[in-house]
Amino acid sequence: MLVLVGVHAVMAVVAPGLVRWLGRRALYVVALAPLATLCWALARTNDTVTESYTWVAQLGIDLDLRMATLNWLLAVLVAGIGAIVLAYSVRYFPEGQQGLGRYAAVFVAFAGAMFGLVVADNLFLLYVFWELTTVFSYLLIAQDPTRRANRWAATQALLVTTLGGLAMLAGFVILGQAAGTYRWSEIEANPPRGGHLAAAVVLILLGALSKSAIFPFSFWLPSAMAAPTPVSAYLHAAAMVKAGVFLVALLGPTLGADPPWRPLLLATGVLTMLLAGWTALRQHDLKLMLAYGTVSQLGLLTAVFGGSSRNAGLAGAAMLLAHALFKSTLFLVVGIIDVTTGTRDLRELSGLGRRQPALAAIAILAGASMAGLPPFMGFVGKEAAFDAFLHGHRTGDLAVLAGLVIGSTLTVAYTLRFLWGAFADKEGKTTTAPPIAPDWLVWPGILAVAGLAVGAAAKPLGGSLDRYADLFPAEGAAYHLAVWHGFTGPLGLSVLVLVAGGALFYYRHRLPRLGLPFDGSAVYQRVMNGLDRLAVELTGATQRGSLPFYLGVILLALVAGLGGILIGPAPWPDDARAWDTSLQVVVAVGIVVAAVAAVRALRRLTAMVLVGLSGYGVAVLFILHGAPDLALTQFLVETATIVMVVLVLRRLPAKFSERTIRTSRLGRIALGIAVGVVAAGMTFVAVGAREATPVSAIFPELAVSFGGGDNVVNVVLVDIRAWDTMGEISVLVVAATGVASLIFRRTEALQRRRGVPGPAGGPPGWLGAGPSGQSIILQVVTRLIFHAIVLFSVFLLFSGHNAPGGGFAGGLVAGLALTVRYLAGGQAELTAAAPIDAGMVLGAGLIVSVGTGVLAMLAGGQVLQTAIVDKHLPVLGDLHLVTSIFFDIGVYLVVVGLMLDILRSLGAEIDRQEVAAG
Amino acid sequence: MTALVPLPVVIPLLGAAVTLTLTRFPQAQRLVSLAALSAVLGVAIALLVVVCVDGTQVVAVGAWPVPIGIVLVADQFSALMLVVSAAVTLCVLVYSIGQGLADGSEDTPLSIYHPSYLVLTAGVTTAFLSGDLFNLYVGFEILLVASYVLITVGGTEDRIRAGTTYVVVSLLSSVLFLTGVGLVYAAAGTLNLAQLAGRLDALPDGLRLMLNCVLLLAFGIKAAVFPLSAWLPDSYPTALAPVTAVFAGLLTKVGLYAIIRVETLLFPGGPTRDLLLVLALLTMLVGILGAIAQSDVKRLLSFTLVSHIGYMLFGIGLANELGVSSAIFYVVHHITIQTTLFLVVGLVERYGGATALDRLGGLAALSPLLGVLFFVPAMNLAGIPPFSGFLGKLGLIEAGASAGGGLRWALVAGALATSLLTLYAVARVWNLAFWRKPVTTRAEAAQTEGGPALPRLMVGSTIALVVLGVALTGIAGPLFDLTGDAAADLLERAPYVDAVRGEGIR
Amino acid sequence: MSPNLTYVVVVGVLFAAGVILLLERTLTRVLMGVVLLANGVNVLILAGGRYGGPPIVGTTPDDEMSDPLPQAMILTAIVITLGLTAFLLALAYRSWRLVGQDEVQDDIEDRRIIELAERDEGPEVEDVDDEGTS
Repeated sequence: MLVLVGVHAVMAVVAPGLVRWLGRRALYVVALAPLATLCWALARTNDTVTESYTWVAQLGIDLDLRMATLNWLLAVLVAGIGAIVLAYSVRYFPEGQQGLGRYAAVFVAFAGAMFGLVVADNLFLLYVFWELTTVFSYLLIAQDPTRRANRWAATQALLVTTLGGLAMLAGFVILGQAAGTYRWSEIEANPPRGGHLAAAVVLILLGALSKSAIFPFSFWLPSAMAAPTPVSAYLHAAAMVKAGVFLVALLGPTLGADPPWRPLLLATGVLTMLLAGWTALRQHDLKLMLAYGTVSQLGLLTAVFGGSSRNAGLAGAAMLLAHALFKSTLFLVVGIIDVTTGTRDLRELSGLGRRQPALAAIAILAGASMAGLPPFMGFVGKEAAFDAFLHGHRTGDLAVLAGLVIGSTLTVAYTLRFLWGAFADKEGKTTTAPPIAPDWLVWPGILAVAGLAVGAAAKPLGGSLDRYADLFPAEGAAYHLAVWHGFTGPLGLSVLVLVAGGALFYYRHRLPRLGLPFDGSAVYQRVMNGLDRLAVELTGATQRGSLPFYLGVILLALVAGLGGILIGPAPWPDDARAWDTSLQVVVAVGIVVAAVAAVRALRRLTAMVLVGLSGYGVAVLFILHGAPDLALTQFLVETATIVMVVLVLRRLPAKFSERTIRTSRLGRIALGIAVGVVAAGMTFVAVGAREATPVSAIFPELAVSFGGGDNVVNVVLVDIRAWDTMGEISVLVVAATGVASLIFRRTEALQRRRGVPGPAGGPPGWLGAGPSGQSIILQVVTRLIFHAIVLFSVFLLFSGHNAPGGGFAGGLVAGLALTVRYLAGGQAELTAAAPIDAGMVLGAGLIVSVGTGVLAMLAGGQVLQTAIVDKHLPVLGDLHLVTSIFFDIGVYLVVVGLMLDILRSLGAEIDRQEVAAG
Repeated sequence: MTALVPLPVVIPLLGAAVTLTLTRFPQAQRLVSLAALSAVLGVAIALLVVVCVDGTQVVAVGAWPVPIGIVLVADQFSALMLVVSAAVTLCVLVYSIGQGLADGSEDTPLSIYHPSYLVLTAGVTTAFLSGDLFNLYVGFEILLVASYVLITVGGTEDRIRAGTTYVVVSLLSSVLFLTGVGLVYAAAGTLNLAQLAGRLDALPDGLRLMLNCVLLLAFGIKAAVFPLSAWLPDSYPTALAPVTAVFAGLLTKVGLYAIIRVETLLFPGGPTRDLLLVLALLTMLVGILGAIAQSDVKRLLSFTLVSHIGYMLFGIGLANELGVSSAIFYVVHHITIQTTLFLVVGLVERYGGATALDRLGGLAALSPLLGVLFFVPAMNLAGIPPFSGFLGKLGLIEAGASAGGGLRWALVAGALATSLLTLYAVARVWNLAFWRKPVTTRAEAAQTEGGPALPRLMVGSTIALVVLGVALTGIAGPLFDLTGDAAADLLERAPYVDAVRGEGIR
Repeated sequence: MSPNLTYVVVVGVLFAAGVILLLERTLTRVLMGVVLLANGVNVLILAGGRYGGPPIVGTTPDDEMSDPLPQAMILTAIVITLGLTAFLLALAYRSWRLVGQDEVQDDIEDRRIIELAERDEGPEVEDVDDEGTS
């Protein structure tokens, strides 16, 4: 069976090509896929076929396939009618029809999915095919998607059926978890009881009813008539809408006994049958009349299967077969009328009966079956249905029977109206129509005759259908399909129905004009509009588009959440010390004052200087804490920061733009203080809770023995946690790259990053001294001290392993040396000092650092592993070398590169742009 | 085979360094980046195999014994993440090369692009491999700073505006993350995740909850969890198509990775589970409604991105094996699909000349290929079976249903509703951009001239990703085996901890 | 380990000042806020490590050394902040070049939707019929 599904899939893939090659005749070839399926199924009448392949066992979703009687019936219908409709489409579409290839592909794909659906034995697999049919129908309904009505109808069908489908999926999950398996045949074998089963039943039925357009979901089907008529004939008469009924029929024998099942189906079914039947009577568009007729018949089927007794099940199966045959026939007939005469309005059509007797004959055959005339299948099924409820043993059976009788009366009436409207002569009108190609007419013909044939062959057919019906718990005498049971109650009802239906048609003009109590499409539209409005309102409320708002939300979450925890369960330590040395307090006061003043400052430069001061204060705290390396780096970084900021700020207005309104300002301050309190509180709690000894306790001895250095922090940076440092310098590299990319935006401009000997003359503005913007003394001095500083930076680099210093400090010092050169002489001096591409330096640095790591691996060690080399060299004396120094050299280079890049971008290039801008 | 472990970080870093020195030779740059990322993909696949065969791989960097130095840990979870991210980044690189070749470096200095992109990759892999809290922070910083550069590349006005939002919010998240690291060290005196797993258990509950929440807050911003998510739709859509694609696919997932790691390894069974579930529900619904309100495809997709983060949170919050397993599966699916869709939208933008729905139309008729390339991943995103989106969703629903309880059921309902609304959102895009008659002059011109030719590399890489996304359905069985084992190990904790301890001082 | 209240206070103040500046619209102020926050976090980390002498073997006995690990973390953090500061400055300068100020602008698309919400309308793009006969 999986193979057959695959055949359809392959056919779908090649179909567009075929159509391009053979034109519309290609549809005959495409029809071979469903035809093969039909033959395969017919060859396996009366036996049960199963297949199983694992797919995602963890989710209980496997490729379990099973064809028992009911599945066989559906498979035959789906495949047979699918093939016929495809063949019919050849003539329906003009040669060279736009999008015919897509039509063929999607149609056959749909047929494959439909076949998979009816033979799926795994609930989830069934859902898979179920949704696939939904999606394909979405694509098929909007065959001409440039018309809004078509798009709208397609989307409506998609969303309504998917809604039901998802509910059904939830139902499946509940059912499967109650049963411990998702394989239907196993659930059937020992059905689960109790639990959430009632909920599962309701959810599953939601899916079935929506798919089969049962009230209150009926509305999508008439809208879906926007589809080409062959699509309607297949999807909306024979195949897709039957899926829901099929599900009811499949689960009925097992779940029928569960409370909500029977009443729900009987009520909605009968209601749908009556409402839709009544509406069908009032249509002028033949296709719409059939559409409402279909809804009505689906209601009938739902109700009959909902009866969930053995005889009702049998009747349902018979009706299902009958309906598929006659309804698709009639759709195909309407398609022919539509194409040949150009209208489907029964007020326009006149005299077709005489002009096209063959077509009329076909329609009458099908109509007779629909109206339930003997010996057609429609009659056989309806008899069985009447009998099932007439001799039913459940409460409400007679009420249902009454509903069925009235519904059938309506059916007879609109059948007559259909035939009259399509073919009768009407005074003052004549419809011209060209003769119909026989290779077109034959397809509905086959279906119509089949309707007659199976009716005649009701007995043997019934024999095989019994095998399905017997799945239901037996009660009372077993009914058997036949055209003639003698003069029985059902026969009387059938006669009554026919007479009443005829009368209803005869007096159709005197009927009261009452329409459906409510219009589902309108409700759907209101719901969707409401949804759109909700979406806009909610998004407008949450998505403010303002950065301070977003930051505020995050910080509020912080304050609310962590503040709550601090007040609540957080363990507050009972001992604390005010300070380690009283000097800390002095420095702290300095930091606090500077920070607060920075917040209040109105001039950019002032604010920055104050921020810098608090930074220096922190550096002093580091010294007091016993962290010389930190202090050194912090001093250098703060200085570098101030320089950078100044370089940029000299371009920006001196004052901040006017303060925002007072309220929001107060809010900010309140939030800031709250965050500060929470941060302080968390620090207090976390530090106070420490009992374990830190891993770093053994660092000092390891630093010497493994790391070969006395300065523990440096050993940590270049050896113990060199992996962090490697990441960190790549951050620097990419940050520098980013600065360059923002300042010189174009690739060609980026070449200037290498530093071209710019015009003599320092940066314009207050930095340059004198009219020429350049101060000789300053330049001379800097040139004198430059090399000294650079030498010092190198010293820091190499001594770093045993004393405060290291690559970062060294690099920063070198960078500051370059800064001094630039400040003194601008672009020209900078280039003179470092005539290289900043990018090169960065790249080289990264290569060196990462390279040492890789070399260690190549040398057979772990990544970034270091070695200590102690050698006695003649003359030079003892050499003590730790390979991690090379890593630190890389760091040094990267930092220098960063500083150089910053000077080139934020300094020189901005100068150039400003000069250019004038 | 532990030699493989550091390579996914080291290779792209070296590549970045080399491309930096090659700024004047774009051809060479392209080759280096391609070579580097292909190598990473190869290594990642090899690593996944090794991990599945020999179990978790641990490397003590610099041969410093655990817990002194930094450890790199590749368990099934991280190895899987490495493979997916490597595959996606490679495809996107090819795509962007195609785009760069087509457009030249007019408003995108490629000499900047390549090194930054490689460093971004290195950052992602660092985060996935790190077995050390502070190193995880460093990994985040690497990928974030690289992303700052990439999102503002070209420096146009809207990119600067969006970039500023992105950068500042991310900076705040980094500050919070670092705060969390500092607090954890202050309380526990170590940074090694495996050791922390033991030491944190000893701490009082209130304190553990506090540390847990600080880290969750920091990661929640990166993972775009409502209400911390509003920055994302404002910033992602303005960037270059490939940049948006890789951000949408990967960056939020790194945040999720961190959440999964921290929740399972450091704070198992904490009271944050239900919190996560509530946030998951809000994220799903608010996100998808946001998508419905949009009228620009890129923004619409950004909102679906936020919304579907909720799915993965759902699984994490359930904290049962199927839930976590499905969450990981969904991460894999979502990385692929979300990236694909943004790449397709990049093609749409070239072809139709816009991403605003009111200026697009008729694309399905103009370029059936483009139609297929959009429709398949779109349905996949909407969780239409048999695609991976459906399978992930199904796993989550089963996990939620089996867990039971009102909140869990609410999540199940929310997940189903979100799936329907996602379908509604993408169907709207399909109706307007692909089915409606062309409305823009550009598209009409395209209709007459058959449209601008799309660069072959861009289309090719997109097709590759679409195929990968569909392939996930085929390999779903084995993949679920893998994620299942990964989830089991995560929830058990012992496999990870023991593997790391194995490298420790004996 | 008993917490050092001085550190705690400094952390609190730096966070508070940093946040207040961070919530400003002027990008340079935001930048300064970030710098203050970064310093605050550094002090927080410092507070989590033991107080003592410089961790240099030979100058301080091992058991009197200050905890070197937090120092390494802080040092890394400091340098990363330096890179970020440079980038933010470039960003501020760029936006000043583009729009003549370094104020953070609001997102236009969001503004549009907020207006729709205020006008009680649905999403702007309606699926209108192409033949104009909607």
